[in-house]
Amino acid sequence: MAHTADHSLIKLFNLRVLNSLALVIRLFLVGYGVYQDKTMVVKYTDIDYHVFTDASRFVTQGESPYNRSTYRYTPLLAWMLLPNIYATPHFGKLLFVTCDVLSGVLLYHILCLRGLSSDAACRFCALWLLNPLPIGVSTRGNAEALLSLLVLATLLCLELKRFFMAAFFYGLSVHMKIYPVTYALPIALYISTHGKLEAQKRGVFRMLQRLFNKELVLFAAVAGAVFFWLTLAFYCLYGWDSLHETYLYHLTRRDIRHNFSPYFYMIYLTAESQWSLVLGLVSFLPQLVLVLLTSLAFHADLPFCCFLNTAIFVSFNKVCTSQYFLWYLCFLPLILPRLRLSKKQGVGLLLLWFAGQGLWLMPAYYLEFEGHNTFVYIWLAGLLFLFNNSFIMVQIISHYIPETVQQRKKTE
Amino acid sequence: MLLLHFALSVFRLTPCEASQKDEVICGPASAWFESVDMSVDVAKRGFHRELLYEVHHDPTPQAIKALVIQRLPSGVYMDQYQLASLREDTGLQVLLDSAVSLEDPAHMSSGFSALVYLSPADGLPGLLQAVVPVHGRYHRPSSSGGWERVYIEGPRLLLRPESCETLPSGLPHRVVEAPCTVQNQSVCSWLEIQGLQVPDSVTLELPVGDFSLTGPVCAGTILATLLCFALLFRTIWTHGIF
Repeated sequence: MAHTADHSLIKLFNLRVLNSLALVIRLFLVGYGVYQDKTMVVKYTDIDYHVFTDASRFVTQGESPYNRSTYRYTPLLAWMLLPNIYATPHFGKLLFVTCDVLSGVLLYHILCLRGLSSDAACRFCALWLLNPLPIGVSTRGNAEALLSLLVLATLLCLELKRFFMAAFFYGLSVHMKIYPVTYALPIALYISTHGKLEAQKRGVFRMLQRLFNKELVLFAAVAGAVFFWLTLAFYCLYGWDSLHETYLYHLTRRDIRHNFSPYFYMIYLTAESQWSLVLGLVSFLPQLVLVLLTSLAFHADLPFCCFLNTAIFVSFNKVCTSQYFLWYLCFLPLILPRLRLSKKQGVGLLLLWFAGQGLWLMPAYYLEFEGHNTFVYIWLAGLLFLFNNSFIMVQIISHYIPETVQQRKKTE
Repeated sequence: MLLLHFALSVFRLTPCEASQKDEVICGPASAWFESVDMSVDVAKRGFHRELLYEVHHDPTPQAIKALVIQRLPSGVYMDQYQLASLREDTGLQVLLDSAVSLEDPAHMSSGFSALVYLSPADGLPGLLQAVVPVHGRYHRPSSSGGWERVYIEGPRLLLRPESCETLPSGLPHRVVEAPCTVQNQSVCSWLEIQGLQVPDSVTLELPVGDFSLTGPVCAGTILATLLCFALLFRTIWTHGIF
């Protein structure tokens, strides 16, 4: 009996079975979403999905996707979702679901390249493929899965030393959303140290010399070209709106409405103050310094470094919503195998993360839907959530065994 | 957008001389108009509310169309995309007279008018109704926090017998012109019903930030973020491979 159970468990973690299961669950939920949208007052589909579809409709009419207010993405997304208008309104969800499952496949290959057995790699992939968070986000029609796929494709190509393709995916991902720009420095340091392993000598001159190796120049040129030409093409097509809505809005965004950011109440109260700009800069500094430091400290283990950079970027950002969490969660299966935490500690940290969100969601609900003045509680919950996230990151960093250049050299 | 611009150009509520028209005159008699009664209610709490309009009237042999013109202040907004989706799902018919920002705070927005076409209630002759979602905007923080009151003035009610081209003359009501239907493709004459027992305004209370807390909030936020920053910096510095 026990033997049969073990056997079926192993079968479950076969990549093909796992992917099929992940896809079936997602397709079922896409179907269920159609049913709920038609029959219930509370809709399953996320409002953003309607924004994408409306923007695509404008494109089909020969107009700018930015005619749809609150469309703040690259026009490429509206273009990709044109079948939403011409074929089926569910095309976008099917695309996001496919990207979501493909992200799982990429995670599997990266894990195998990092030395895990096939079974172990499947087990860690299941944490993404069967995780209710990414499942919910992609089936409700959020485009985050596209970014997970592009970022993981960049990491896989870098592991495989296919710098041209890595650069292509990286340029595309930065064009789609700004946050992967925080991976630029670690990727540059990673390529420069891995391209020429003998160049491990210290010194500013040597470091600069390393930064100008052939692979890095190729990577920078290709990624820059992809980003530049796409952005320029859309600027020519849609004018200033495309630059403003895709990039500048996100860079200068100071949302006074409640969100997970620890800065939200301060930004709301000082929105019209002369100190607003100074406070904006002050709040940008911790994010910048920590991202730079992490890039220098952990660039040799790129997935770990990207995880930390994203988690820091999101936690210390001036605006933070729950879909931002997906940006770093896609790296989690890659770092868990090297995390030396007991199950109890792991579950504890997970509960801490969820508790932080729960404590924020409660006053936010009372503010938004009950009209109670809970601004102070939301602010305190935002600070607590930052403490929780920082504590979790500290625990992860202190219990992680990063892949070093020396280890890599040995395996090579 | 075209629809909106069209709405802007045709939405002129101008009194007309109904008696000068020569077409066949039909529609309910003057006494019937006295049976018309209207109520406005606000449902739900917080930032997401619903305005409920109900018009009761004595049964008539011909269908009556009702249009509510609601002026809304800058403290609230209606989401034109949500209205479009509701139009498909529930048949709600609302036309806005201008493009409305979905994100700006109250002090950076302006008011607008909504034209709400009421629908007959299922199985209840003589009742027309509509439920329109309206959302509160964030307001400037006030000196002591609490709630900001947003006053939504009483709506105007316009009626039109569906099959009449010309309205009956000699009625004690003003004739105004407004879009015939939510499609906004033609202008019809409507009778504005006056003397309704509708309250002058309904009030929403929306929570606002407490400006007097600016100092402690800024200090607390910076202190907390610096503490987390220091904690992370020390850990990365200790465990990093430089």
